[in-house]
Amino acid sequence: MTNPQTPEQTPDNPEHHPRTMFGARRQHEAAELAAAEEMIVSRSFWADARRRFVKNRMAMIGCFFVVLIFLFAAFGGVFAQYNIEEIDWSLLGKVETEGGPNLTNGHWFGVDELGRDLYARVVQGTRVSLLVGFVAGITSVMIGSIFGAIAGYYGGRTDQFIMAAYNITLSIPYIIFFVVWQAFFGRSVTQMVLVMILINWTAGLLITRGQVMTLKNREFVDAARMLGLSDLKIIARHILPNMLWVIVIYTSITIPDAIMMESLVSFLGVGIQEPQTSWGALISEGASTMTYGTLWQLMFPALFFAVNQISLYYIGDGLRDALDPKER
Amino acid sequence: MLQYTFRRTLAVLPTIICLIVICFFLMRLAPGGPFTSERPLPPAIMANVLERYGLDQPLHVQLWTYLKNIFFHFDFGPSFSQRDRDVNDIIAAGFPVTLTYGFWSAVFVLALGIPLGIIAALRQNSLWDYIMTGFAIFSQIFPNFVLAPLMVLTFTLAWGLLPGGGWNGGQWEYVIMPAVALGTSYLANVARITRSSLLEVLGAPYIRTARAKGLAERTILWRHALKPTLLPVISYMSPVFVYMITGSVFIDVFFSTGGIGQSFIDAAYTRDYSVILGLAILYSVLTFVLNLGVDLAYAAIDPKVRSGLK
Amino acid sequence: MTLLSVENLSIRFGTPDGDVHAVNDVSFDIAAGETVALVGESGSGKSQIALSILGLLAPNARTSGRIMYGGRDLLSLKRRELNKVRAKEIAMIFQDPMSSLNPYMTIERQLNESLELHEGLRGAAARKRVLEVLDAVQIPDARNRLRAYPHEFSGGMRQRIVIAMALLCNPKLILADEPTTALDVTVQAQIMRLLDDIRRDMGTAILLITHDLGVVAGSCENTLVLYSGKVMEHAPTRALFAEPQHPYTRGLLRAVPNIHDEAGALHAIPGQPPNTMRALTGCPFAPRCVDAIAACHQIVPPLEGDALRQRACIRPVEELT
Repeated sequence: MTNPQTPEQTPDNPEHHPRTMFGARRQHEAAELAAAEEMIVSRSFWADARRRFVKNRMAMIGCFFVVLIFLFAAFGGVFAQYNIEEIDWSLLGKVETEGGPNLTNGHWFGVDELGRDLYARVVQGTRVSLLVGFVAGITSVMIGSIFGAIAGYYGGRTDQFIMAAYNITLSIPYIIFFVVWQAFFGRSVTQMVLVMILINWTAGLLITRGQVMTLKNREFVDAARMLGLSDLKIIARHILPNMLWVIVIYTSITIPDAIMMESLVSFLGVGIQEPQTSWGALISEGASTMTYGTLWQLMFPALFFAVNQISLYYIGDGLRDALDPKER
Repeated sequence: MLQYTFRRTLAVLPTIICLIVICFFLMRLAPGGPFTSERPLPPAIMANVLERYGLDQPLHVQLWTYLKNIFFHFDFGPSFSQRDRDVNDIIAAGFPVTLTYGFWSAVFVLALGIPLGIIAALRQNSLWDYIMTGFAIFSQIFPNFVLAPLMVLTFTLAWGLLPGGGWNGGQWEYVIMPAVALGTSYLANVARITRSSLLEVLGAPYIRTARAKGLAERTILWRHALKPTLLPVISYMSPVFVYMITGSVFIDVFFSTGGIGQSFIDAAYTRDYSVILGLAILYSVLTFVLNLGVDLAYAAIDPKVRSGLK
Repeated sequence: MTLLSVENLSIRFGTPDGDVHAVNDVSFDIAAGETVALVGESGSGKSQIALSILGLLAPNARTSGRIMYGGRDLLSLKRRELNKVRAKEIAMIFQDPMSSLNPYMTIERQLNESLELHEGLRGAAARKRVLEVLDAVQIPDARNRLRAYPHEFSGGMRQRIVIAMALLCNPKLILADEPTTALDVTVQAQIMRLLDDIRRDMGTAILLITHDLGVVAGSCENTLVLYSGKVMEHAPTRALFAEPQHPYTRGLLRAVPNIHDEAGALHAIPGQPPNTMRALTGCPFAPRCVDAIAACHQIVPPLEGDALRQRACIRPVEELT
């Protein structure tokens, strides 16, 4: 029956860019034009997304808290009256009764079981947790999307090989990596980040792979290929910009995951090593002493951890709502 | 189905052997070891110790012996740091414990999560639905290692209802908190996935066909909607089992259950390579078995997958 | 004898952006044993009319008007009562045989459950009836394929199963919603012939919903042309094809590909279907109509004519190009 659109009106009709006698020159212009259109589309796409994100109240509150926590990590040390290793001998042995949060002696968050200033340690722990979480999270997603893009773009054996590695990585409980790696190479922050990237290299892989598989068959990629653009250029100029939103969403999910992972292994004692500390290690110390009634040792790090995770969760949620076309 | 299981098992063997070989070389080549301590042992004794554990042999011979013992005698060798114990002893003592509360935890996750999700879907946007959503967010933010201390704080320290640790032969009071603390995050996710899956299924054309037959809504739910609703939940269990294994290490440590997780972490501290390697293999095999179970369960429901297996 | 009578049916869907007016004041009758065609573009509300008859509309739908069947208004029946009408009195054949069968149940179970529910047939008796119907829709080797799952059948076979499902309880009316759209052309013809046979042999009335005028031509007594949820023209099919009296119907007929047309040109109707977010203020087709005059945009044309054929257009037939 009727097609309500006449053929001429269809914007992606191939007839739109006729191959004429002028040959490649004309084609090139057409492709440039198509690329320009894509860019315009994507620019308004990001502007729209930003507007939607800013309107999301929970996400904005989340941003506010994350900024606060970052400021705390960056400048919180300025207000610390003690350093992280210094033991306050005057409180030793009476931590339960006098080691609580106290404004007069400068232990804002109290002291830990060994009489060390908890405020300074929480600042330190926040730094380590954020550093590890963000660096490992972002790097992992970058690596994962690159492998995903390669697998999706080339397909065939490359794809099979990457997917096999993906499946194997996912089917090994990550604690094994930590225990094995840390037992052999030690436990610095750098080591920590390295293992986490090694474990999380699959982050976002599957979704970028799927995205590239659909994108690579779209007209503008065909056009670019006909112009003889190299694979790398096609990926960088035509595919990557169009799946940036997937990567952004996935990064926002992976960062809190990485922070969680770091905290768990530090809790188990196979993560960050003393005197360095992290939220997980602090929560672990707090949990081990809660029977003595020194609850502040558990509550302060747990509070920071929880507020950070809730905030990141809502930011991720807001980004997904703002960016994912399916959600609209 | 049996043939499929067999094929899968064959397919995973190379992976596990790979894992063994990599870990094996990692630990032999790593600086230090279980016998390097602050005060070096006299060379004579050191040589004695090395001979006792077969560490004086060339590497490839050691590897071959190791693999042979595992595959033909099911023997993971002696522990390096615990003089009189074999890795087999450690597994025999700890594995049943971990398996027991792990099993109950999985039961807890599925037997509660699925019904909760179904209720939330059927009463979409009700108060109950919102409570479920809140619970799901809560569990994202409070993973087991925050939840467990909070539970001990509440149920042991404040109310004195449950023991805060130990195992005591697996009496039920001792199983509850490990199982619940291990499962809660996944319970919430299972409920969330069940909810959205059921909502999607209820919108499917074949459910409309079922309605057009005049079937009661209850019949439609049980006969037509339940199976497809469970499929995403079943696939989700695959990563969940992997995460739960990691979680069990934490639970073993935190609740001092005496499970293998505790030995695993201790081994990391003492660089007891044979224990690390043995338990890593055990964990991998366990993961494989659970994943296989997930795939078989999936095939049992989805006829398309089932015919693909043949 | 009138079997089903749709009276002033309107359907709206509540959405966050406002109401969608899917169906506007539609009335028609179906006599026992008759085939009536509902023709329109996608989005013209034709499927929604069929769904509303069996109470299968999406939860956000609101209806007004009446659908009388057996002295009762189907729109106001309780779910419990409606369930006794569904499949037993009025059965439905859905558009896409790929997705309208449950992929996780054997076809035997999907077929015998309505027998169990409406006829109380179980076991061997149910199987006998199922085989009877599967034979009637010409599924080869049906006995050995009862335990098969939908994915083991081809698209055409699946549609036959869907049709068999509708026939099981000998309904008086079958609502066939685009029964051939998802199928190959050759299979389309087979399925249409099958539906024709069914009507002839069993005296079942059929409401055929389609966007394909070619399908309508051979098989229906009466045709309703729908546009934007409103009836444009209602006439005996033969007369409608011979002398269409509404500009929209003319456009539709001109857009059907014709192998005798030397030029081979397709005459598409220019423009887009209207926005259904607003209530009608004029003829919905006016913006795309070559014959539209100023008044067309201001007056909602009533459906006028004799008992045999009616049309909704304010311009006299003679004046139309």
